[in-house]
Amino acid sequence: MSGEPFKVWQCRTCGYIYDEAAGDPVEGLAPGTRWSEIPADWICPMCGTPKADFDMIEL
Amino acid sequence: MIPDEIASTIISPWAYSDGKKVDDAFTWLRREMPLEQAQPEGFDPFWVVTRHADILEVERQNDLFHNGDRSAVLTTIEADKQVRAMMGGSPHLVRSLVQMDNPDHFNYRKLTQGAFLPQNLKALEARIREIARAAVNRMAEMGGRCDFARDVAFLYPLHVVMEVIGVPESDEPRMLKLTQELFGSQDPDLNRSGAEVTDAKAGVDTVQSVVLDFMTYFNAMTDDRRANPRNDLASIIANGKINGEPLGYLEAMSYYIIAATAGHDTTSSTTAGAFWALAENPEQFRKVKENPALIAGLIEESIRWVTPVKHFMRTATADAELAGKKIAKGDWLMLSYPSGNRDEAVFKDPFKFDVTRSPNKHVAFGYGAHICLGQHLARMEMRVLWEELFARLESFELDGEPKSMVANFVCGPKAVPVRYKMN
Repeated sequence: MSGEPFKVWQCRTCGYIYDEAAGDPVEGLAPGTRWSEIPADWICPMCGTPKADFDMIEL
Repeated sequence: MIPDEIASTIISPWAYSDGKKVDDAFTWLRREMPLEQAQPEGFDPFWVVTRHADILEVERQNDLFHNGDRSAVLTTIEADKQVRAMMGGSPHLVRSLVQMDNPDHFNYRKLTQGAFLPQNLKALEARIREIARAAVNRMAEMGGRCDFARDVAFLYPLHVVMEVIGVPESDEPRMLKLTQELFGSQDPDLNRSGAEVTDAKAGVDTVQSVVLDFMTYFNAMTDDRRANPRNDLASIIANGKINGEPLGYLEAMSYYIIAATAGHDTTSSTTAGAFWALAENPEQFRKVKENPALIAGLIEESIRWVTPVKHFMRTATADAELAGKKIAKGDWLMLSYPSGNRDEAVFKDPFKFDVTRSPNKHVAFGYGAHICLGQHLARMEMRVLWEELFARLESFELDGEPKSMVANFVCGPKAVPVRYKMN
């Protein structure tokens, strides 16, 4: 797992981007936190959209 | 029930223009009656949602709290009657994303959502920077004095957004005037009549005449883009399909109108309000000037500070409980964004303008499915302008008294006179 390239996920509602490499320290997600490590009940910090409604994207 | 004096203050366009009056009223409400009903004279009763957490709770549940069942903007009983009579029973003069619920809201939003995603906006940044540089150059040529609202903040986002829509530059003054007549319909300095609006019928007639002018303009644009599609937002709206059918006339016109008004006016207000706040807090300007990495913090703080959208209304679709109160099906709720953004439970020293504030989870863009579609564009516009301006701006100060619009829906500063030195 740790050798895999970091991925980027985006909220379908508001466009918030979660980059595994950068994490989101303000939200308590340290740099390097993988998407799979984020709890299933986590919601988008900008708009409240459920984690399930994020898409993996290429930037 | 909220005391009459407080209730009449939080709906008064003049109180929003004053700023402090409305801040004091909401501070009192957050402390004493954070979720309570108001019934100012001439209005149906409505709940006033003042706390940050309760605003999120309502916005998150967009099936339980609808936008479109009653007016999405605070309106008097008389004005509501008049709009319904004009619109075949509908409480809305326009039908944009703001007045829609699912499934329409999802389908109509999807049409343009991709264009406003951060990764797709990157392609616009070089052109936005050119527009920002031109705005900064014009400011430099004004000889060290200007009205930053009128001369910079109103014009720069207008130019960006009109290019995105596909409106030619020669029509920008017309779009600005119509926008100010719409959002400033209660402000004698900006509205079409040039007088204070005291009569509901006259108020609705004035707003409707502005809406009709917009529709006439954008109907012609639809014809053009259907015949000659281009790479612009107008072409997406004109040629878009919802469930395999072209957009309805009212929905298409409303899509253009919201883009051509809220799309720039809110960014203009925030930009003008940021400059005003920096002039009053020169140490904050020095911090950003010395450390441009703080521009991101300046942007979020100025969006919180100005909160250009003062409210939206929601209607409960079923009996519900919110913050310990029983909300009945059909009840009308006013989401007060300026109050949520001054909530002492979320923001330390909420009346302090602080570019280093972190976290800064303001609700100025809303929350949930209706969160502002153009938020990433607005942030990019402001970032680019501040990068270009602060590289040349050495110092500045107020050169007279700033003034804010007389309005209770979408508003911000209308005059920010400044003196400045630029390199």
